[in-house]
Order: sequence, then structure tokens, then C-alpha cells
Amino acid sequence: MITPWMNSHLLTFLVFAPFAWGALLLLFPERQAPLVKLLAVLGAAGVLAVAAAQLLRGQPDALGQVAVERFHWFSAVGIPVEYHLSADGLNLWLVILTVFLVPLTMLGTWNSLPNRPGTAFALLLMLESGMLGALVAQDLLLFYLFWEAMLLPMYFLIGVWGGAERRYAATKFLLFTLSGSLLWLVALLYTAGKAGSFAPGVMAQAVQALPGKTQGTLFIAFALAFAIKVPLFPLHTWLPDAHTEAPTAGSVILAGVLLKLGSYGFLRFAFPIFPDAARHFSLLLAGLSVAAIIYGALVAMVQTDIKKLVAYSSVSHMGFVMLGIASMTVIGTQGAMLQMLNHGISTGALFILVGMLYDRAHTRRIADFGGVALKMPVFTAFFMIVTLSSIGLPLTNGFAGEFLILNGTYLSGFHWGKAAAVVATLGVLLSAAYMLWMVKRVFWGPANPDPESGTAHLHADLNLREVAVLLPLVVLIFWMGIHPETFLGQSEAHVSRALLQTAGGEVKR
Amino acid sequence: MMITASELSAILPLLIPALGACLLPLAALDKDQATVKWVRGAMFFMALFCLAGGFFYITRLWATGAQPAYGAIHMDRLAQFAGIFVLVAAALAVLQLWDHLHQEGWVKGETLSLLLFSAVGMILFVAASNLILLFLGLELLSLPLYALTATVRTRAKAFEGGMKYFITGAVAASSFLMGSVLLYGVTGSLEIVAVGQALASRTPDAIALTGAALLMMGFLFKVSSVPFHQWTPDVYEAAPHPISGFMSVATKGVAILALLRVLGAGIPAPGSLRIQAALAVVAILTLVVGNLAALAQNNIKRMLAYSSISHAGYILLGLVAGTPAAYGGIIFYLVSYLVMNMGAFGILTCLGLVGDKTTFDDVKGMGWKRPDLAIAASLCLFGLAGIPPMAGFYGKYMIFKELILQGHVAMAVTGVLASLVSVYYYFRLPVALFLEKPTEKAEREASERPALRAPLAGAAVLVCGILVVVIGLFPGTLYTAFAWRVVTDTFPFLR
Repeated sequence: MITPWMNSHLLTFLVFAPFAWGALLLLFPERQAPLVKLLAVLGAAGVLAVAAAQLLRGQPDALGQVAVERFHWFSAVGIPVEYHLSADGLNLWLVILTVFLVPLTMLGTWNSLPNRPGTAFALLLMLESGMLGALVAQDLLLFYLFWEAMLLPMYFLIGVWGGAERRYAATKFLLFTLSGSLLWLVALLYTAGKAGSFAPGVMAQAVQALPGKTQGTLFIAFALAFAIKVPLFPLHTWLPDAHTEAPTAGSVILAGVLLKLGSYGFLRFAFPIFPDAARHFSLLLAGLSVAAIIYGALVAMVQTDIKKLVAYSSVSHMGFVMLGIASMTVIGTQGAMLQMLNHGISTGALFILVGMLYDRAHTRRIADFGGVALKMPVFTAFFMIVTLSSIGLPLTNGFAGEFLILNGTYLSGFHWGKAAAVVATLGVLLSAAYMLWMVKRVFWGPANPDPESGTAHLHADLNLREVAVLLPLVVLIFWMGIHPETFLGQSEAHVSRALLQTAGGEVKR
Repeated sequence: MMITASELSAILPLLIPALGACLLPLAALDKDQATVKWVRGAMFFMALFCLAGGFFYITRLWATGAQPAYGAIHMDRLAQFAGIFVLVAAALAVLQLWDHLHQEGWVKGETLSLLLFSAVGMILFVAASNLILLFLGLELLSLPLYALTATVRTRAKAFEGGMKYFITGAVAASSFLMGSVLLYGVTGSLEIVAVGQALASRTPDAIALTGAALLMMGFLFKVSSVPFHQWTPDVYEAAPHPISGFMSVATKGVAILALLRVLGAGIPAPGSLRIQAALAVVAILTLVVGNLAALAQNNIKRMLAYSSISHAGYILLGLVAGTPAAYGGIIFYLVSYLVMNMGAFGILTCLGLVGDKTTFDDVKGMGWKRPDLAIAASLCLFGLAGIPPMAGFYGKYMIFKELILQGHVAMAVTGVLASLVSVYYYFRLPVALFLEKPTEKAEREASERPALRAPLAGAAVLVCGILVVVIGLFPGTLYTAFAWRVVTDTFPFLR
């Protein structure tokens, strides 16, 4: 009885089941926290199982969709709003990434949350709902609703379970994101009013009839909201604060999935709806992306806090993603798709690792460590692998993504393409510099002799649970590096089609 | 004089609560300590029963689609909507009053009587089809509220607040009356529709203009829009929490609804006054002043008062757009505002904040004591901030979209930026409830206070919290079944 319903409402189930499960778990009293945590992980794992089994097995239809749901939702004030969800080449792997990271995050931070861990896990489930909804929503108002709905759980994850400056960081995160999205809402309503629909395809047609200047303004409003989320230089200032103050679980989800929604928004909505404006502003976007790559890397280099270093490395890596999208080539965009997944895996893993270190040493200052490798060899091995993936060593995932992006940018045919690719390559070198320098100071050399230092507090290497969390991430790092086609095959047709629209019929491969 | 069944059905929703309002003070005669508890319970039951009776008859009218009239009392769709709106708000206020009055030390039964009288006045205000009755409704709704503001006499500001409200209210009422008199002098009619027609058929002159402007001022005062808003924070601060909630929701709501009726009838005549432009200026000012002033408040009730001013601004923006769809958006907005604001004010009672202890410092960390209620109230506040998927988002969405479609993009941007500002102060309450540690002083005082019990207010807040989400998930149902029908049935000429 359940099965036929599940088959036809798979996406609704995926989107709302975590929320319902989380809401249910909120009802448990606080003293039941261990049980609540267990139930939360089981729920998240169940969602992962269903998503993996159903979505990866699904046969794509003519539009490349492996699952779809579509019906009229409401049409207050003229414009119909559709409940239109679909999983296709553009979002399939991001959905899998999301449902994969959530249970891992929970396991990885099993004992890290000092107070009310059950409530935090329930909020994580609710956040998962918002993210999945935004990823699979095809109607723009629906997308907007999920996009905003993600804010509240994240706000409270940072605000309740964060570090000393948590309220400042949470408020900054909230206001930054909202200021972008509210202006975007006006542009969205304007465009939808012209088109009489919230469907991206219909909106794209209506936009063609608008004067170029209006198209440009609307595109900027769309781009602003997405760029803040990515975050693109110079709108990134909320990110280091949010990451540093957020608990490990919040950081992992923030870096792993939330940021991707910004670049996904460009790919799914902003570029296809405003192709001409996108081409017009591609130089600006590419310039800001390159600036983010270099600036993020340079600032990461001088950080004294490991977590903040990883946060700035995020700015740099997301710069690569945006550069790939701005190149408007199939190769570059495919690279951006892969880099989104890479960044989710590598940076997510880095935040989990930093969290494990912090749980033991209660400090994240680089200067407080030294010689960690002597005390925690297994941990060091994992950290090295993830570091190399983050740097983009060949055979790891980072290499494939960055290579495709730089390749696509170089071949883009834009007059800035070659210069941008060359400068961005410097970013790869810089990322090796700041990551390896940090690793050297933290892990190698003799153990820090100070009895108050972080190293002195490290008594136990990773336990079985922690290894179980990291192992799948490491497997993926190599899999994606050695055989990226697994993750690229689904999206190619989609990227080509999206670009066909953007490039006005002529696709640069 | 015989009264027909149809005429009776028009006034029954008014008569039942009015009858209850007349009988309730009798209970206050009971001075016997032995029976007093029993009598209090009976009074509350009776008040709720009368509100439910009015609600029953009015929903029956709604279901049959009849729009009966008795003299100048015209129970059309707009008035029926106002009735449902006011009676629900009053019932939520009565539930909260039960707990609040117990916390404040018992106050006599006049409170409930005054509340019911005010509710009757509110329905009459929207149902009135001529200017005299409109004025009567205005006075009947206002006078009890002046007294209610000063109900809790132990509170330092109660008397000051009541007096302030009375004096400014009297000025507004006289402005309203003067406006009606001038319009009568010019057009020779008191019927709202006839006045509108007469104004449309003549060239505008100074007297008609002044009359219409004075009339508008009366409305804008009740809506608490800038520059007629100064009384609002003082009065909301002084009044018992549930009464503040009731005033912020019901008074504003019926003033908007009656304003819709008057504007719909063509007063002031289109062209005679550049009403759209004037309303636009007032709306923008209201938005800006309300939102900016709310940022600076440390008292939750004053924050909510300025927030209610800013919401008047959003609703007035809907009037500026002026399309039927925008009117539908306004009706939708009012419904969601009712739920959200009653929930927001309700949490004050649930947390047992008596006297003047309603600052953000007083509620720090208290959310964890009753997480269910605090979450429900937080949902209401997120809704007030316009964050989807809470109900509050859709009202703003409808109004902004109509503004944009009418070409007022700059105004929509202003409104959107104003609601960005509002996020900051709306989040202060959930932040204080959940994110902050209680101050030592507050913890000591909380331990001295008797254990927190507010069953009825708690139920009211829970209902509000659930409704905020349910309306947010099914906005279309409410819109087509409710908001759009009010507009099409009341203003068929607008389509």
C-alpha cells in the first residue's frame, strides 16, 4: 500500500520525511537525548537508503528527469504556483550528496554537542528537508520558499550550539542572506508578473521581450541573492564568522550543501532565464571568481585558527565553481558540477576532522599544536588524504574538478578566458601552500612541549565510530578522482541543454 | 414594528454578544468569597458562549451566502468577514485574559463586558452603511477600549495610557464626525454609497475635500499609521497583554475593512483628492517609522506596538495598489496577522510576565521552560517577519506582487527592505527565549514566582502557532475560500 504511493511521490517523501521525523523527535524530552540521536541517525540513514536506491536506479525520461512530481498548488493573485519537483542531471548528485552528508555529520558529531544534542539533530533533519526541497524545486516560488526555509534551522544551529560569538555570527548570516533574497523576491515577482508563471522556461521566454537594461537589473538581483550564498567575493564576509562560530555539524552542512545552492541557483535559474544578461556580465562574474580564488587563498594562508583557514579555503574553492559556471562552456560547467561535489566531500571532511581535533584538544589554534602525527597516526593519515584532495592532487577528486574548470575557462572563447585560467591556476598553487604549511605546523615536527598545548591534550586516536565516518568520504575522494564519469554522465546532457539556451543555439564544448 | 427573519439574522451576531456584555457585570455583584471562584468560571464561560453564539450565526450567514440588512446595518460579506475576524480575536483574547487576570490579581467582571461591547462595536463599524452608524460603531468600539487600557490599576502606566488613548481617540473621533458633517453638507446624504455617487458627479471643492480628508484621518488614527501613531506604544504597554493583542489585531483590522468600504464607495471621489499619492506617502512613512522605531525598543510590548504600526504600512501599500487582487491580499494579510499577533502577545501571558516586566531581559532563556509554547510563538514572530513558509509571507507576497504589477517597483523595494529590517527585531524574542542565558535577577524572581501555569493562554498560543504553519502550507485554500469571496461579493463593480 505504501509502495505505490512512494513510487509516485518519491520526491515529496524525500523532502518532507526528514522534516516530519525531526518534528516528531522534537517532542521527546531532553533526557531521552541518546535515543533521539539514534532515531535521528536512523531516519537520516533511511532517507539516504531510499534516495540512493530509488534515484540512482531511476531511468531518465526524455527531459533527463529520474523522478518528477507536478501539480497545481495555488494561484492567489493571478500567477499560478506549481508544486513541481524533479530530480534530473543538474541536481541528482547534489541530492545524493545532501542525504549522504547528513547522517555522516550526525555520526561525526555524536558527542560534540554539549547541550541538547537531540534538539540539534532534529534541527539538522529539518534543515535537510529545506535543502532537498530547494534542490528539487522547479517552480521558482517553490524554490524561494525552500530557500528561505533553510535559514531558520541553520540560524538556530549556529545561534544555540555555536562558539562564543555565536549570536553575532548567526545574525550576520541571517541578515546577509535575507538582504539578497528579499531583493531577489522583488525581481522574481516582476519577472513572474511579466511571464504570468513561475516556471523558469516560461520566464525565460518572457524575459526575451524585455529591454536589455531591465534584463540586466533583474539578472543582478537574481545573481546577488545567489552570490551571497556561494559566497562570491566581496560578499563572503559572513562565511568565516558563520563557519568559525558554528558547531561542527553546522559547518559541515553549511560548506557541504548550503553554499552549493548558490552556485546551483546560477546554473539552474539565473543563467537559463537571463542568457543575454549572463553573457553580458560573465566577465564581472569571472573577475569576482578569480578574485575569490586568490583572495580566499591568501587570507587562508595567514589564519591562526584551523577552522577559519578551512572557511577561507571554501571561499577560494567556491571561486573555482563560479569560474567554471561563468565560462559558459560544457567542460567548465561540468567541472563546476564536479567541483561542487568535491568541495562538499573534501571540505565537509575537513570540518569533521577539525571538529574531532577540537573535541580532544579544545583549541583550534595552529600554534597550540605540533607533532600531532606522533600522538594520532590514524587521524593524521585521514587528514593527509583529505588535504591532498582539497589541494587537487591527481587521482583525488579535487584534481578532476579544477582541471575541467581551468580547461573550460581557457577554451571559453571569451576574451578574458585565457587570462582568467592562468591567474586561477595560481590559486591551485596557493591552496597547496596554505594547506601544506598548516599541516606541517600542526602534524609534523616534535610534539609541542607545552603541557597546556593542544597536542598535550590528545590522548586517544580515532575510535571505530570516527573511522566509520571518515572511511566513506575517503573512498569517495578516490572514486571521484579516478573515475569522475560516474558523477558527470548524468549531468552532461543537461548542462549542454542549459547552455544551448544560454548561448543562443551555439554551444562551446 | 415587526422584525422579519432576514432582518433578525442580520443583527443576531451583534445581539448575542451585546446581551452577554449587558449581563456580565451582574456577576461582579457577587462578593461572597465562597462562591467567587465558581462565579468567575461561569463569567468566562458565558463570555465565550456569547462569542461562540455570534460566531455560529455569522458563519451560518456565510455558508448560505445571504447578505441581509436591518436598517443601516448591512451584513454583507465584508461585515460577515469582519464579524468572524473580530469574534475569533475576541475569543483568543478571552482565553488569554483568564490566565492574565489571575496573574495580575483578580480584576472584576467588567473587563469581559467591556471586551464584548467593543467587539460588538467593531462589527457594527464595518456593517454600517451610513455615516452616523459608522460613527456610532467607532465610538462603541473605542470607549470600552479606553477603559480596558487602564484595567490593571496596579500597573504604573495604566492610568496614563488610558488617558492618552482617550484624549487622542477623542480628537480622532471628532475629526471623523466633522468630516462626516462636511460631507453631509456637501452631498445632502448620509448613506455611504450615495455620498460616493454624489461626490463623483460634482466638481471637487474645498469643503468636500476637507470633509473627506478629516474622515480619512479618523480611519488612519484607528489603523495607527504615521503620523497618527504616537499613542500606540504607550497604550499597548499600559493595557493588559491580551487586550493589547486584541487592540492591535481587531481595531486595526476593522478600521482597514471599514476604510475599504468607504474607499470602495468612492469617498474621497477619485480625482478630487490624489488619494493614491497621499496613501502612498502615509504607507511608506508608516513602514519606515514603524520598523526603525521597533529596532530601538527593549520592551517586548513596545516592540510589538511599533511592529503593528509597520504592518499597518504593508496593508496600506495594498490599498495603494488598489486592485481587487490587492484587496484580496489585504484580507488574507489580516487573517494571518490575527493569528500571528495573538500568538506573539499570547506568549507574554504564557510566560507569566506581570506588571511592567516585559523587557527582553525578563524572558532570557525562558523558552526552554515551555519549549512547545515558545516555539509556537516563535513561529508567529517568524511569520510577522514574513519568512516563508509561515503565513505572514503570503500576505506580503500578494501585496508586493500587485504593487509591482501596477508599476510601483520602488515602493515594493522599500517594503521589502523594511521587512528586512524587521527580521532583526522579530528575531530578538526567539533569540532571548532560546539563545540567551537568564540574568541572575530574572532567575531569582522566577524562582520566587509561583510555578508557571497558563493552560488557556497556552492553548491559544499553540493554536496560533499551528495555524501559522497550516495557512502557510495551504495559502490557496484560505485565499479562494475566504479572501477572494469577500472581495468579489462586496465589490462586484471592481472586477
